[in-house]
Amino acid sequence: MSSIQDRVADVNTDNTEEMNLVSAVNRTLHQELARDSSIRVLGYDIGPLGGVYRATEGLLDEFGNKRVIDTPLSENGIVGTAAGMAMRGERPVPEIEFMGFFYPAFGQFMYAVAKMYKRTGGEIEMPMTIRMPYGGGVKALEYHQESTESYFVHTPGVRVVCPSTPSQTKGLLAASIRSDDPVIFLEPKKIYRGMTEPVPTDEYTLSLNEARIVREGSDVTLLTWGAMVRHAKSAVADVDADVEIIDLCSLSPLDVESILESVSKTGRCVILHEARRTLGLGAELSALINEYALDALKAPIKRATGYDVHFPGHDIEDDYLPDDDRARYAIEAVMSYEF
Amino acid sequence: MSQETWAEERPPEDFYRILGPEGELQRDVPELADDELLGLYRTFVATRVLEEKMLNMQRSGEVSLVAQTLGEEATPLGGAAALQPDDWMFYTYRQTPALLHWDQSMAEIIASATGHEPETIAEQLEMGDSPMNFSPDYTPIGVNVTNAVGSAMADAFNDRETVTMVFTGDGSTSEGSFHDGMNFAGVFDVPAVIVCQNNQWAISEPSQRQTASETIAQKANAYGVPSERVDGNDIFAVYEKAREAVERARTGGGATFIECVTYRMGAHNTSDNPDRYRDDSEQRDYWKDRDPVDRFETYLRSEGILDDETDKAIHDEIDERVADAVEQVRSMSNSEPDRMFDHILHGESWHQRHQREELQRELNGKNPFIDFTGEGFDE
Repeated sequence: MSSIQDRVADVNTDNTEEMNLVSAVNRTLHQELARDSSIRVLGYDIGPLGGVYRATEGLLDEFGNKRVIDTPLSENGIVGTAAGMAMRGERPVPEIEFMGFFYPAFGQFMYAVAKMYKRTGGEIEMPMTIRMPYGGGVKALEYHQESTESYFVHTPGVRVVCPSTPSQTKGLLAASIRSDDPVIFLEPKKIYRGMTEPVPTDEYTLSLNEARIVREGSDVTLLTWGAMVRHAKSAVADVDADVEIIDLCSLSPLDVESILESVSKTGRCVILHEARRTLGLGAELSALINEYALDALKAPIKRATGYDVHFPGHDIEDDYLPDDDRARYAIEAVMSYEF
Repeated sequence: MSQETWAEERPPEDFYRILGPEGELQRDVPELADDELLGLYRTFVATRVLEEKMLNMQRSGEVSLVAQTLGEEATPLGGAAALQPDDWMFYTYRQTPALLHWDQSMAEIIASATGHEPETIAEQLEMGDSPMNFSPDYTPIGVNVTNAVGSAMADAFNDRETVTMVFTGDGSTSEGSFHDGMNFAGVFDVPAVIVCQNNQWAISEPSQRQTASETIAQKANAYGVPSERVDGNDIFAVYEKAREAVERARTGGGATFIECVTYRMGAHNTSDNPDRYRDDSEQRDYWKDRDPVDRFETYLRSEGILDDETDKAIHDEIDERVADAVEQVRSMSNSEPDRMFDHILHGESWHQRHQREELQRELNGKNPFIDFTGEGFDE
């Protein structure tokens, strides 16, 4: 586990550009398409429109319609044909417009994408990166707001990656595209344009197996990812505790060593995620810590999450989503507990 | 058991046919040399002998599940014979003749049914050296259509002349993946040949329950993909239409959909009992009279290409090859349990290392749950 600064240290940081998260996606796709001719981006609305979030803007003009493929409106078709391309040595990067639209593609995901490498004893690799914006808080319709990463994390044979900053997005997306494994790449759309930072303009990759320390601390470990990282940072400013924030980055496989090391040090843990609570990834994290770091615990683990409900309408979506307050309450609760 | 069974309906027979039910010619035969014709006959025989042997192995518990091609052999064989080396084939579970035609090893086919992990099969068997690229077989139906079209898209984008052929069944044509794949095939004009082996039964669902379309072939119209409808029990008809489709695909003419009308003589597979849902034997007698192998044999004998002596030599050779393959598979050792962790992801995660170790402890009669720190199993 290392900080993002450590991890991009070997990259030329003299040349940087101020970027937000979605422009980091766009820049990475540009650089990767230029680097490797076997990479193809496919999905609907990704061509002349440049994607509903403009993540693919300008790609069609630069690389043409064999590399940037506007497809029919069919998630199963997009993922299924991308799987066929991956079987033939291509590196497709399909875009699913919203995570909540992925379900029609679940058959292809389970039968072909996640399984082909194992089924063929390693003969056929499936190097493909399925990008999808996820998460709520954008006042969109219900199927545009979901955070159902647990379905993917429960599936062997696929990596699940989720960035939370522009520079991380660039390094993790490039690493995902270059990975020989299929990757589900979750883009926190709430913060697509929420922050900018200087991002190295040269190509670089970040490890897909390492969590990131956002902030070191000694009292509580706060495990989170994606759009929730910003709430974690805000929350710790107002609590009477020294909180260690860990951005998991890789949801599958998990950087278990970093998680256990941190909890063993702090003795307390809060998990912050916007997905529904029951069998959300927080359940697995809590179970993991219970199994391997119980002796270190000074309090039960608490999960500040969404509720076990369908994503609610606009007027109350902020009541569903965890925020600074919910994170702070959870931290205060574990700090107040006495055995 | 229900009293209700399905009344079977005979599909319209206004399809393309060269070799009639009695082995008589209705059109000119495609140009094939005598040794090529005998090669096709040899594959017919090999399929029947191999699958009969596997059926026996299933009955004795050596193999868990077997699906037979019986009565449908001309469709996969005619299709496969139209391909060229380096082409790609995506198949399901009733295309044994296609595999054998392109030299897939019999031992590999048997071993894939004995439940060994793929890594074990690769290490312990002499694998066939096929000039054809086979995808692994698919059991969830329709999935392969989409993947095959993706494979053909890759060829189209790279300006390669490779063709992808996919075999699917009548039941698949009700699945979303079939329609998604067909739609992409049409939109991207890909070098794919999509063959529907319409045997009129999807486990217990008869064709009239599967679709209200008069024919399966007409479904291609919706996607702007040209289609053919052929007698699936006529090796010449299937071969000729497949060859035309492959040629069109190879020369940039795009995808073709071919409905091959055939009939499932037996059960869906060895776990199925068709007596529960099929009404009588009338249809089976009708189709038995149209058996693709008998038909072809009659033709070969009438042309003087096959005689008793050659036929016996072919059967003897096949019997020996099948017996050898069975011996090879019987001499294979079981997979190491550890194999289940292979080829999940490149590299190894904490969970993988940990669970591998847990399994090892369990196999050694030790308690796998004694790690309380996540640091391993030092007792």
